[in-house]
Amino acid sequence: MAYPTFAKPETLNRRSFLLGTAATVTATMTLPGAAFAQAKGQLLLWLPGGSDLFCKVQTGMLTDWTAKHKDLASAETVCGLGQDTAFNQALIGAITGGNPPDMSLLWDAPVSLGTQGAFLALDDMMAKSIISIDTWPGGLLASCQFKGKTYGLPVTAGIYSMWYNAEMFEAKGIKSDRASFPKTWVEMRALSKEFTVWDGDTLKVAGFVPHREAESLAIWSALNGGKLYDSANYKYTFDSEENIEMFNFFVDWLNEEYKGDINLVDRSGSFGSGYANGTTGQPAAFRESRLAGLHSGSWLMGDIYDPAPNFTRWDLAPHPVGPSGSATVSGVWPNWFVIPANSLNPQAAFDYLTYLSTEGAVTWFENVPDIPTNSLVKLAPPKILVDHRGEEFAKETTAFYSEQAKIVTPMWDSPVQGFGNDQLKLAIEKIYTKAATPKDALAEAQVASQAELDRVLAG
Amino acid sequence: MVAKLPLSAGDPRGPRRKRAGRSEARAGVLFALPWMTALVVFTFIPLVLTFVIAQAKFQIVGPPKWIGWDNYEAMWKDSAIWASVRVTATYALVSVPIKLVLALGLAMLLNRATALSGFYRTIFYLPFLMPAVAGSIVFMLLLTPGAGPVNMILGAFGLDPPDWLKDPHVALWTLIMLSLWPLGVETLVFLGGLQSIPKEISEAADLDSPRAWHKLVWITLPMITPVILFNMVIGIISSFQVFTQALVIGGTTGAPAESTLMYMVVLYRAAFRYFNVGYAAAMATVLFVTVLLLTLLIFHTAKSWVYYEGEGR
Repeated sequence: MAYPTFAKPETLNRRSFLLGTAATVTATMTLPGAAFAQAKGQLLLWLPGGSDLFCKVQTGMLTDWTAKHKDLASAETVCGLGQDTAFNQALIGAITGGNPPDMSLLWDAPVSLGTQGAFLALDDMMAKSIISIDTWPGGLLASCQFKGKTYGLPVTAGIYSMWYNAEMFEAKGIKSDRASFPKTWVEMRALSKEFTVWDGDTLKVAGFVPHREAESLAIWSALNGGKLYDSANYKYTFDSEENIEMFNFFVDWLNEEYKGDINLVDRSGSFGSGYANGTTGQPAAFRESRLAGLHSGSWLMGDIYDPAPNFTRWDLAPHPVGPSGSATVSGVWPNWFVIPANSLNPQAAFDYLTYLSTEGAVTWFENVPDIPTNSLVKLAPPKILVDHRGEEFAKETTAFYSEQAKIVTPMWDSPVQGFGNDQLKLAIEKIYTKAATPKDALAEAQVASQAELDRVLAG
Repeated sequence: MVAKLPLSAGDPRGPRRKRAGRSEARAGVLFALPWMTALVVFTFIPLVLTFVIAQAKFQIVGPPKWIGWDNYEAMWKDSAIWASVRVTATYALVSVPIKLVLALGLAMLLNRATALSGFYRTIFYLPFLMPAVAGSIVFMLLLTPGAGPVNMILGAFGLDPPDWLKDPHVALWTLIMLSLWPLGVETLVFLGGLQSIPKEISEAADLDSPRAWHKLVWITLPMITPVILFNMVIGIISSFQVFTQALVIGGTTGAPAESTLMYMVVLYRAAFRYFNVGYAAAMATVLFVTVLLLTLLIFHTAKSWVYYEGEGR
């Protein structure tokens, strides 16, 4: 009979415990670096977010482009790393950790982080590029430039304009063609009243709601003959007379048409944008024909069919002009691409951005209608628009946005853009909740933003 | 010179025990070493570095630049700092006393021996286990104007409910209200204190006076003053550090209109939104010193109102 044998149990003595601990600590500290380090010849792109389609299109373009370049072994696109603060934290963490992506999409102006040394200045590479620097619109490129250095490329951009529901206009017997759209704020305010219906404290239908988005406020300021930031003199001008007048106009409008209470408007639905409220789930009033018009970007062309609105015919118009303004302007929210400091493949990354700005931008626009910014790009109408509204409308809309791109007002050009936007956001909240007058709220935002700008400029 | 304590002269095992004691001490130190190392690496060194970085302009990317007291000077002029100090101080002054009273009340209820005591203790502790982010989002949905159940119920009674999180005059009070929700830890600490009161004292008090509040004021409260002190100090420290709920509800700007702008949120946004790490370090230093001074002040006053058994007072 064979007896089972037992090995002498291994006891964990102090020496082996300490050795084991040391080995674990060493492995923990070294392995992640080895596992996640970027290799030369492997192109890595980071994207902060976007739809599945957006990610798929970006991944496909990078993979295809890399396959044509034998010196590049592979490519990887990391989608949806988080937006705003979360994404910037991840990016800065990767840069300081010496392990950044080779290029990254930003939805915040690159100058702020660029001046801190987070991104490579692209000027030398641009000088040798096959794409002349003159092919970029000056206003757009300015959003990437500071003190003669260019920290990113505005590859595509959302262009802002007025959107309106032509069917709601016609139901009221109002002309719905673009030429008849209000040319001034006063006209728009008068028109808005035609649509607005209250049921007690619930806003059932609204015409237009006064503007309150900080990121695009520069457009409304310019429409009233003002500006928010004087880039030539490094001065914020939040509390200029034109800007105070602008908010006084908006508050009067709120008082007259919306019971003076922006919270009542918000309670009644998502009247602030073309999208559902992310917190409450309230569907977009515009898509339900409860809002006659709004100010939005060209990206809505792609998004408006998910979910589809309960009407067919929407149209676009130039922004109306404020009481102290003289001409209409447009504005942009670019998709900036940057090459982080410490990128292992900076030239390959720049070459890809060159491709993306031209050929790639066409593919991008066909699938996700962000407007290509480089003048070399010849646009074909976005497929989604052709499918829903026909070739002619899609062509006409594309032409409209191309025209609007030519009258873009300077914006996104401060080295403390994020800080300034936060201060504006705060001022807007104070103004609309009546916690402060426009004059006081803007003065406070002005002081804080100028102090931060001066701190950064001091070096 | 410190005299060595003599071992017992009549104990032949003295030197052996001494060797064993040294060996045990060495083993103890070795086993505590990982924790001590972590304490030094992750607490003491960062603490010292915070004081150093507070003297620098440091943006994470690139080297720090020595600027002396400029960060503190900038803090003095920063309106966001003063707004956050006002909000944080109000939050602390209101929420800590209410929390203490409510937690004590709950603990006294739980201290009554019933068949469901264990169940209630678990129930009251459960909210503490819920992540603050999840809890905040749930409350945001509950308090949503219009469609939120709280306002629907209030509306059904003919009340005109406020915009809990959008009205600048109401939002901070809502935040304070939310802070009262996870009372589990304070309640359990009070419960421990209540259960440590000797039964004979409690029974003697019952015989002396039939009025319950007499017993509460003259026996219960004095006997649990060390526990009150503990909960108060922890409550004040945590109220100065309130962050998650404020960030989820008010974002980095303390919406609406800075009414929920806590000091820690300003610190966070300075460090991780604007990457102004030197400034954030100066803010952290000021917070550290403030909380330290407050705690020392409370401990100083505690001598006059905290009763420790065996101290003869």
